Amino acid sequence: MKDIFYYFERDMLRWVRGRVSVISALVMPAAWLIFVGLALPTTFTENYIDFITPGILVLTMLGASLQGGSLLIFDKILGFLNKFLALPSSRESILFGKILFITARGLLQATVILLLALVLGASFLSPWSLVLTYAILALFGVLLSAFSTTIALYLSDHDAYAAFNAMVSMPLFFTSSALMPYSVMPAWLSALAYWNPVSYAIDAIRALQEGVLAWSRIGALLFLATVVVGISVRQFRKVTL
Amino acid sequence: MIPIETHGLTKYYGSLCAVDHIDLEVGNEIFGLLGPNGSGKTTTVLMLTTLLRPTEGSALVCGHDVGREAQEVRRLISYVPQDMAVDIKLTGRENVALFAKLYGISRRDETIDRVLGMMDLSERADDLVRTYSGGMRRRLELAQALVHEPKVLFLDEPTIGLDVAARKKIWEHIGTLKSRGMTIFVTTHYMDEADHSCDRVAILDHGRVAAVDSPSHLKGLLGKDLISARISGEYCRDLPEGVTMMGGKENGEVVFSSEHASERVPELFRRLEEQGAVVHSLSVREPTLDDVFLALVGSREDGSAFDDHKFRTMLRRRG
Repeated sequence: MKDIFYYFERDMLRWVRGRVSVISALVMPAAWLIFVGLALPTTFTENYIDFITPGILVLTMLGASLQGGSLLIFDKILGFLNKFLALPSSRESILFGKILFITARGLLQATVILLLALVLGASFLSPWSLVLTYAILALFGVLLSAFSTTIALYLSDHDAYAAFNAMVSMPLFFTSSALMPYSVMPAWLSALAYWNPVSYAIDAIRALQEGVLAWSRIGALLFLATVVVGISVRQFRKVTL
Repeated sequence: MIPIETHGLTKYYGSLCAVDHIDLEVGNEIFGLLGPNGSGKTTTVLMLTTLLRPTEGSALVCGHDVGREAQEVRRLISYVPQDMAVDIKLTGRENVALFAKLYGISRRDETIDRVLGMMDLSERADDLVRTYSGGMRRRLELAQALVHEPKVLFLDEPTIGLDVAARKKIWEHIGTLKSRGMTIFVTTHYMDEADHSCDRVAILDHGRVAAVDSPSHLKGLLGKDLISARISGEYCRDLPEGVTMMGGKENGEVVFSSEHASERVPELFRRLEEQGAVVHSLSVREPTLDDVFLALVGSREDGSAFDDHKFRTMLRRRG
């Protein structure tokens, strides 16, 4: 168990010391919120900031998690992974260390968005629903970072990973309920959006705004995360080079 | 307990046989696995360090099977791959601390200080690794590998890309570790380094062991002196009796072997000139491991795909 923290600590130290990447990680989501949240002309709601904030939160976790997979790619290309795999410490702790770091970093970015949204006039969250929002975002982060880190285990270089990332992230985002409610989507999109895991998280957070716990969406997310983490652990245990 | 033994160890990548039925027994010594790029050295090390499953055969490290008892093997060994993987944004001490923590070392600070001291890194321990030279980074990796006092240390090309002084220092440290009772299994394609530093070497050619013995024994097998020549122009292979041509090396040197070589030089010179060749130099010298390799394997031409990763790693280390 401690090993997970040691791997986490290593990634955290490396990230914090590369100052540019920290600044970029904090500015990027803010830019999204401002330019998408304030600029889009919308007719379906009075308060678009309230509507879009859950979408941007989940988008940020999505981006952070998928980008996080490249950490493992670099560990692999540069030879760190070989050294770690030859250690007696359990191999899944490498995976959980990455999940913990990537998710924590994503939640930090989410915090920037939440603070900014409040400044911009969002008015939606009670303290209790704020805690649940974090929990949902964390669950979503675990799901996606386990997925991306395990994919990275099987891709040979950074180009391949970038291609995978591009192929997955944009479609997942645009076919989700992030930017508009189901009611204004074309029928084919709303069907697609409903089954998109990104929407599970967004819908669950939006339901919190109305004080509702959307158990079916949270349950779906929990189920998916359990399955993906389970598969990932298995792959990490048996991986050879 | 035999530190390393392999029985018919074999690895196929698809239909390509990278390692072909290797039988080795390594005692408490510095054992060198030699061969050109692509001869199967790294694949062998990956199997011995539990990172790759053998297709056939088996390998035991300190009596534990690398497949079935991988966890036990990992506790007893350390592995330093050739990539030089140290975190440049962390200090030397932090790099070592990570491994000390992951190995669950009990007296951690003491151990970290000790291994850093052993590798002459104490003074720079709290500097970022970014500021370390290539040789220092490699020594830092050795320090990481020593935190749990492994029985067997695997080093894959430990001196690749380092300058002469740094190489010498690495080998000195390897010698010190052996004197403390560690078994060291090292791969290299620098024959001269293996010649000076290894107790025994195995010469690997296309995944097969062409010879295993001490460097001096292997050189003794050639039995004869060598004549090294630089020749240009045409010459057919009509050589004086008792003189045989061993082959040409990549640096343009042509090597002949003969008994009483110094007495045969004038005749060889005449014979070559008669055939229309221009002889720039002829000299008699002692055989080296390189010559053993030439005799056993033939030309060292490297037919494998260019390893751009290794090339980049080497360039990076120039700084």
